[in-house]
Amino acid sequence: MTKRIAETILLYGFIGIGTTLGLAFLAAPSVSINAFESPNAQRIFYWHVPAAWAAFIAFGFLFVGSAMWFFKRSNAGWRMHVAGAEAGLATGLMTVWSGMVWGAAEWGVPWDWTDVRLNTFGLLTFLALFLVLGRQSQPDGVETRDTFSSFGLFGFVLVPVTYVATRLWQIRHPGPVIGGGEEGSLNSEMGLILLVGAISFTLFIIGHMLMSMRITSLEQRLESIQEAMDKV
Amino acid sequence: MAEEMTFLAVAYLGMLIAIGLWTWTVFSRSNDLEQRIEAVEQSMQTNHSNEE
Repeated sequence: MTKRIAETILLYGFIGIGTTLGLAFLAAPSVSINAFESPNAQRIFYWHVPAAWAAFIAFGFLFVGSAMWFFKRSNAGWRMHVAGAEAGLATGLMTVWSGMVWGAAEWGVPWDWTDVRLNTFGLLTFLALFLVLGRQSQPDGVETRDTFSSFGLFGFVLVPVTYVATRLWQIRHPGPVIGGGEEGSLNSEMGLILLVGAISFTLFIIGHMLMSMRITSLEQRLESIQEAMDKV
Repeated sequence: MAEEMTFLAVAYLGMLIAIGLWTWTVFSRSNDLEQRIEAVEQSMQTNHSNEE
């Protein structure tokens, strides 16, 4: 039943993402050619912002799961940690990739090593990469889980830093478009497409995390059956 | 202008294909594990009934 729910949520999310991209390409209003070097590349924003939103959901999931494992020794918490790390890596890469595509078109360079927002988000993605690869290379056990959970707990500090980075140090990454005061105003059509994107990416990443939790549970079940067989 | 739209379309398609592939690997991992568990459980049942 959970599998069906996860699959359904994921499917709706995927369709929604496709719809968002279609709307961004065909229906989103154009921006002023004076305000941007590459006005059409700005349409990547309808992918980039919802992907970053989904990444923050995934890192929140990772943080809660890490805390549940670290303080309560909860197996469900560990499954949340694994799902959050995998989803954080995927959405982090989506955000970084789309940002680099836009940066290459608008700034002439895909990355700016002096920009705080870019670097803290890049570090978050590397943290997720470390957690995913680290888990695959280490035998499962309490010590391994404790180590990776502590990284999940402390690494979460980068999330609020990333969020406030463009408010405190606006270097190259544009300022906030939502919740940023008068400067961050979007017209209603842009806001609507962005909302469709945010809802779609949220559904997509929740579906993925549910599927990932299920996979971890199946892996643990298979391992315990094999251990039982070895004992016989 | 047309070149920019082509660039954007390629980027969009690439990203859609990437998340499609990721989703497909997740589904195939899940199905593979289910089949393995089913096979192991069946083999355990067979062994158990043979012993009886």
